[in-house]
Amino acid sequence: MDSKKLSHDIMNSLERLRIMHDLIKSQNFSAIPKDEMVNDLAEEMKRLEKNFEILLNQ
Amino acid sequence: MDKIICLGKNYTEHSAEMNEKQTDKPVLFIKPPSCFVEIKDNARIVLPWHRGLIHYEAEVVLKLYKKNVIGLGLGLDLTLRDVQKKCKENGHPWEIAKSFKNSAIVTPIKGTRDFEKDWQRAVFRLKVNGELKQEASLSQAVMKADEIIHYIDEHFPINDGDLVFTGTPQGVGPLKPNDIIEMEYGPIKNTFTVVDSGFNGF
Repeated sequence: MDSKKLSHDIMNSLERLRIMHDLIKSQNFSAIPKDEMVNDLAEEMKRLEKNFEILLNQ
Repeated sequence: MDKIICLGKNYTEHSAEMNEKQTDKPVLFIKPPSCFVEIKDNARIVLPWHRGLIHYEAEVVLKLYKKNVIGLGLGLDLTLRDVQKKCKENGHPWEIAKSFKNSAIVTPIKGTRDFEKDWQRAVFRLKVNGELKQEASLSQAVMKADEIIHYIDEHFPINDGDLVFTGTPQGVGPLKPNDIIEMEYGPIKNTFTVVDSGFNGF
């Protein structure tokens, strides 16, 4: 994968995780229900781990 | 943040004060994240005064996640009015009048739960040197939050964390160095000063 795109994807994941952190910390599930948030969180962590692995092995 | 999406002409009174015809739908434009600055209380924000008139435009700012509003702030969409006027006269895009450093000033974003339930009715205020200049709520705008997001989605890709400047009401005007700006919106209240760097290198 193009390293610029990879970095961009990682930064986007970090931004999403930051948003999820803020929502979960404030227990704000009015826009995104808690179950959906838990799924999003797991998916995002998986995506981030995979992209970091690629970055490490480039 | 991937980008800042801005609406123009979303309040009919503002279009009137600018002597411009109100369009059916608001105008959309984008500011890059490099224009963004988050207000810290008592901050001093440097602006490019050597480029001509700088107008303040106070606007409700939405923070998006999965195309939902998850946070709110109050923003100043700063505009180089002389530059914009010249661009319009020449029939050119006016991006250069909108996308300069520190042209997207935003208060810290608060969660929607920190506001009254019908937050679109929450009143925002802008004061310059203690004088009230702008006061309105998003409920007075041509396009409200849900419709805005739908409208943007028709034209731009929306990314998580994007900010939306929802347009300014009437009362825009020029700033000058050392003006003290107060911004209030629901639980948000911030004060800062706009200053001159002392050299044209900005």
